[in-house]
Amino acid sequence: MSDGVFVQILDLVCGGLLLSGVLMLWRRELVAIVRLLVVQGVLLAALAVLLGVREQSVELYLVAVGVLILKAVVLPGVLHRVLRDSGDAREAAPLVNVTSSLLAAALLTLVAYAVSGPLVALAPSATTRALPVGLAVVLLGFFVLVTRRHALSQVVGFLLLDNGIAATAFLATSGVPLVVELGGSLDLLLLVLVLQVLAARMRLTFGRTDMDELQELRD
Amino acid sequence: MNLISVGLAVVAAAALVGATAGALAQARTRPLVAGAATAVVGLGGVLAGVAALGGQTWSLTIANLLPLAETTFAVDALSGAFLVLIGAVAITAGIYSVGYTSPGGAHATDEDDAAPGHDEVVAHDGVDAHDDVPGPAKAAASRTAQAVLPLFAAAMLLVPAAASVSTLLVLWELMALTSLVLVLAEHRLRRSVRDAGLWYAGMTHAGLVAIMLGLVVLAAGAGGESFAAMRAGSAGLSPATASCVFLLVFLGFGSKAGMVPLHVWLPRAHPEAPSHVSALMSAAMVTLGVYGIIRVGFDLLGGGDGWWWLVVLAVGAVSALYGVLQASVAADLKRLLAYSTTENVGLMLIGIGAAGVFAAEGNRVLAGLLLAAAVLHAVNHAAFKALLFFGAGSVLRSTGLRDLDRLGGLVSRMPVTTALFAVGALGAAGLPAGNGFVSEWLLLQGLIHSVTGATAPSVVVALSMPLAVAVVALTAGLGVATFVKAFGVGFLARPRSVAATGATESPLSMRVGMGLAAAACTVLALAPAVAGAPLGRLLDVLPSVRGGAPLARSDVSLRLAGIAGSMSPLLIVVGLLVAALGAAALVRRVTRGAPRRATPVWGGGSTRLSPRMEYTATSFAEPLTRVFDDVLRPEKDIDVTPFAESEFLIASISYRQRVPDRVEARLYPPLLAAVGRWGQWSRGIANGSVHRYLAYGFIGLLVVLVVVGITS
Repeated sequence: MSDGVFVQILDLVCGGLLLSGVLMLWRRELVAIVRLLVVQGVLLAALAVLLGVREQSVELYLVAVGVLILKAVVLPGVLHRVLRDSGDAREAAPLVNVTSSLLAAALLTLVAYAVSGPLVALAPSATTRALPVGLAVVLLGFFVLVTRRHALSQVVGFLLLDNGIAATAFLATSGVPLVVELGGSLDLLLLVLVLQVLAARMRLTFGRTDMDELQELRD
Repeated sequence: MNLISVGLAVVAAAALVGATAGALAQARTRPLVAGAATAVVGLGGVLAGVAALGGQTWSLTIANLLPLAETTFAVDALSGAFLVLIGAVAITAGIYSVGYTSPGGAHATDEDDAAPGHDEVVAHDGVDAHDDVPGPAKAAASRTAQAVLPLFAAAMLLVPAAASVSTLLVLWELMALTSLVLVLAEHRLRRSVRDAGLWYAGMTHAGLVAIMLGLVVLAAGAGGESFAAMRAGSAGLSPATASCVFLLVFLGFGSKAGMVPLHVWLPRAHPEAPSHVSALMSAAMVTLGVYGIIRVGFDLLGGGDGWWWLVVLAVGAVSALYGVLQASVAADLKRLLAYSTTENVGLMLIGIGAAGVFAAEGNRVLAGLLLAAAVLHAVNHAAFKALLFFGAGSVLRSTGLRDLDRLGGLVSRMPVTTALFAVGALGAAGLPAGNGFVSEWLLLQGLIHSVTGATAPSVVVALSMPLAVAVVALTAGLGVATFVKAFGVGFLARPRSVAATGATESPLSMRVGMGLAAAACTVLALAPAVAGAPLGRLLDVLPSVRGGAPLARSDVSLRLAGIAGSMSPLLIVVGLLVAALGAAALVRRVTRGAPRRATPVWGGGSTRLSPRMEYTATSFAEPLTRVFDDVLRPEKDIDVTPFAESEFLIASISYRQRVPDRVEARLYPPLLAAVGRWGQWSRGIANGSVHRYLAYGFIGLLVVLVVVGITS
């Protein structure tokens, strides 16, 4: 693969990652958001494959397969099951409305580009120049965590955060070792399962899965 | 093979074995195991300390015991003096605790000690019948308390051996935590124990923060956290930084030493802790605050400015006066002893402060003399205060009482305890034939000779030293009154309550522990000259007073080097004995042959005299309360109830008096209120919303990112 084609595809994939993240802020149907997560998982796997081709590394292909299975199949599957069991499928009233969220997303992306300058300057190349995208996805994920009430949205925000971290790791190091990725993925899986149980329990107890119900737990 | 390493190895091994055995042993053998382990820990400390005072030094560096820092120990003569002091107290306390924590004795519960001078006499009998109410002996013999006791002694012994900031702080904290556990031993019996624990924990942690800040700044400025590096690098500090370090460290160590106004935990924790723990804390732990001030001020900072030491002198003077005043009016025996600790720490600080002033002026002879007097006073104080707390503990165990107003008549019921308490009281009163007299005499000599030397004194010295002499003299005078009261009211005359009537002598181990402490008092009182050479070695450790050997070699008398002054405690005692025997013989001779008459005591017209009409501690201290009314501000409450028929016929009068701690009442409520407001405010920040907590993290991340992005 020539350099020009590689950079084109890389930018396309990274753009897709960022776009899917922003779209998650825009959509309020949880089914649609989970579908966007699938897209993002596929794009992340594509990023790993792309780097694997570039680095000629079989290990990265394995990482890509793992990412695809976990982030495009297993985790969205779990979320779909939660959605099917619970009645409400909409993020009813986010703490910050959609318009403001999109503006905030633009600002966060700007911040990500502004602050990752020194990181890019360490080793300028096509992959590291795409690094701000990973950071922006991290910030978007955090933003979802802070502003969305629904328990499932919290899980989505967390997965977005993790996708951002994975993308940053891929872009900064030209692919991560299989062991590291495996360890991170196991943690992630466990956490999502725990959150699933938590959401189910909350629904049983409160009848809703609004995280603010937990406020009563304070001292 | 170095004796110091052997001694400290014994300390560490005995502490670990003792803690494990104390935790595992059966309830019956536990007092013996823990007490013996504590005594062995103390023995190791004394061994190491004697070797260090004999001129040996020792150091040890362990690389990987603590993360990120080396663990460093070093023992010199200054450490040695405190090792001997703490070790000796630990030996006696260990032996004493065997009897104190074994079953038996009166079981006191909530004692109404806030109101001395009340009308009814409450007996504290009959509690023993309930097994579910643990008595003081049982509570102090709990598994936790017994396992922690040897650890506490070992932590105290290792503090003066620490030679780096991290080592010192870790051991300091271990000492604070273990002592806190011991203070709380009787928390199920009295609510006031929990209160005392809270105060103590708060003060000791505030002190730790101050020490840590000061030493961290010093280590950063000196370029290394080991004491050797700090010693070498402290000269390069700016005066402002050095002063800041000294004041922080002085505050921190001072809170442990119990100087005014940081003394508030002493009169709470000392009375509420089991008595052997009170003795360990008051006699040994408190002096580690003094050690810290000497170590950092004279050794690590190399002497410093004169004004630092004027601050120390002033704080010491206030502590001595305030402590002795509160002690003189206290009716609770252990509270009295706690305030007396503040007084004695004040005297030590006066000596240290004056020594620092002279060291800054370059007068090594006087600086050496005063510092030696301060250290010797620490040793003397440890001996008599341990003995006095043991005595108070024996009384408490036997009668369940700490209130002097309800005691009395113990001289015939607890003769050994009474005699030994008298030895301690004599030392604490600072009278000849007591050990406190020797160091107070040295202190006064140093202060007096400051203005009678060949060269004209500077203005600061000419103003401050005579005032210090006056303070020491007033303190000594009030100290005599205090301990006449403690001994006379508490032990002599007839018992004022049923509980005091039923007092019995303590078990053998307690008498042995007290006897050892009394023997130490006697040796220190009769032959203080043995301390001359070790004190000289101790002063050689400190750069700003090095070479000023204060005590010349002599056999029976204590002769001062450099200035005219000598005193022989032994000859004074012989003289006193001869005079007393002569007077007794004279009286016998005069009255020989005269018939004995038995007549009732003149009761001012009243024929029904009861023990309730005896002088009590409160009435004994009444003139003092009146004289120092402006300082003490006692709260009096007189309630006269007349008969229904006529208001001129009085049915009863009730009189209550409380002497609150004015410093505490003025200083601490605003501080506590501010802390409380801060706590309330922070409750508003943490309102339980998950989103809000996440937002804090998010905003924090963004701020860090932006700051890093802008600055790099």
